[in-house]
Amino acid sequence: MSENKFETVSSVVDSYQPNDEIIEDLLNDAHLSATWDRYHLMGDVMRGETSDVINLDLSSEIAAAIADEPTVLAPRTSNNLAAKFKAKVVHLAKPFGQMAIAASAAGLMVMGVQQNSADNNVILPESQVVKTMPFGGIAEPVSLNFQQTSRTNEKQAFVEQQRRFQALLSDHQQQIKLSSVDVSEQAKQEKVEDPVK
Amino acid sequence: MKLIRSLLLLVTISTSVTANETEQAEPWLERLAQSLQSLNFSTSFVVVKNNQAEPYHWFHGVNADGDELEILSLLNGPRRDILRKKNVVSYIEPELPPYSVVSQQISGPIPAILKMDATTLSQTYDFISVGRSRVLGRPAQLIRIVSKDPHRYGHWLWLDQKTGMLLKLAIASRTGQLLEQIQFTHLDITPELGESLQKLQQSTLPKVIEIPEGYQAQTLQWQVKWLPEGFKQINANRHRISATKKPVEFMLFNDGLVDVSVYVNGSEDTQRATDYVMDGATVVLNQVVNGFEVSVVGKIPANTAKAIADSVVLMPKTAP
Repeated sequence: MSENKFETVSSVVDSYQPNDEIIEDLLNDAHLSATWDRYHLMGDVMRGETSDVINLDLSSEIAAAIADEPTVLAPRTSNNLAAKFKAKVVHLAKPFGQMAIAASAAGLMVMGVQQNSADNNVILPESQVVKTMPFGGIAEPVSLNFQQTSRTNEKQAFVEQQRRFQALLSDHQQQIKLSSVDVSEQAKQEKVEDPVK
Repeated sequence: MKLIRSLLLLVTISTSVTANETEQAEPWLERLAQSLQSLNFSTSFVVVKNNQAEPYHWFHGVNADGDELEILSLLNGPRRDILRKKNVVSYIEPELPPYSVVSQQISGPIPAILKMDATTLSQTYDFISVGRSRVLGRPAQLIRIVSKDPHRYGHWLWLDQKTGMLLKLAIASRTGQLLEQIQFTHLDITPELGESLQKLQQSTLPKVIEIPEGYQAQTLQWQVKWLPEGFKQINANRHRISATKKPVEFMLFNDGLVDVSVYVNGSEDTQRATDYVMDGATVVLNQVVNGFEVSVVGKIPANTAKAIADSVVLMPKTAP
């Protein structure tokens, strides 16, 4: 720990352009790094730039916390619905102009996919596996297109589910509007029909 | 002995403090209802949910005959306007031709109960006056409407100290996570009716749709066995979902503050795992059990929606 090195640190703190060697030294030497921290803190205090609460040892705390973190090999499944990832409703109906085009394209896709899956539902006998099956004008190896259908089916199911959610949400809002009874009047009424219990 | 006495003192003090707090919150809610019914105001607010903002304009006034006039319009995207003249509410939406219903309140992002008397919710919710803060450049009072059980969200209201008007509204989970916020961005209170309301006064609203007697109270072949305390059935019908044209059986429940819809219909799938999405505070949950699809929609936690969906039981058809 030569005095010289501390001086170098000091000059680096004072925005002197250091060479790579000095930086390397600084990074490798824990003691020097601590000095670097301290010099900066002094500077901050003198300039009055510190916050009211000074936590001197934040970096090492974070490093320790990261080291303590267990390695998750598999994501934990939880029964708590609220803790799960929440997907957002895709507003399918929102941007009208663009959707019209996109929807027609999607419609074509869905139609195409339905044809595909209908074709592929037929389990092929062993001898036919090598043959290509033409569908929708394109011939592709059967093995390849089996994989594809499972993926497109999945995507289709997802789109279907999103559409279902969106339809339910707008219907819910619609029904509230149609059956908006006078809340105050309803509150006054005695419990006419209590479905609970 | 001394200890007991001091303990007793402490208990009386703490109870009087809580009593005092609820005493403070209720007049605020009454004042809010009064302001929403009687003031001529022109205001804008933004609904913030799902990292999106929906801006609205809201006008309200009372004409010379003492009838209320109201306009609420969405400013982004396709036009969605709600017009109200006394007890006729018209909805102008892109999905349907304009129509009117007979109702005292418009069904928008702001719960209708706030206009009526929110203190009628006292069976299931607590009202807590939390403190003051600054909202929309005005000193505001924060009132929380907190559910007594864990099955519902809380509503936080920031009210103008001067006029009692709503300045901000937030729906938060019990852990304090904000799910949906309504922030007012401008508020004008005038002695006279605004220009757009005067125009509304002269215009004719679309035809009121007739809902057949008994249509909203049909007997369905299933029951919801569990709902959080205070929910009442306000509608039960069979209809087709407009977007998918799928026939469903439907029940709507309301606890005064939030609406919960339950849908039951047959499905091509025999089983489908529970799946749900959130739209701000609104959950849409869906599952298929034994060939029957059950869906629950409403501003309730996902766990509550799941419990409601699980409690649906089909009843055997009664012999003709």
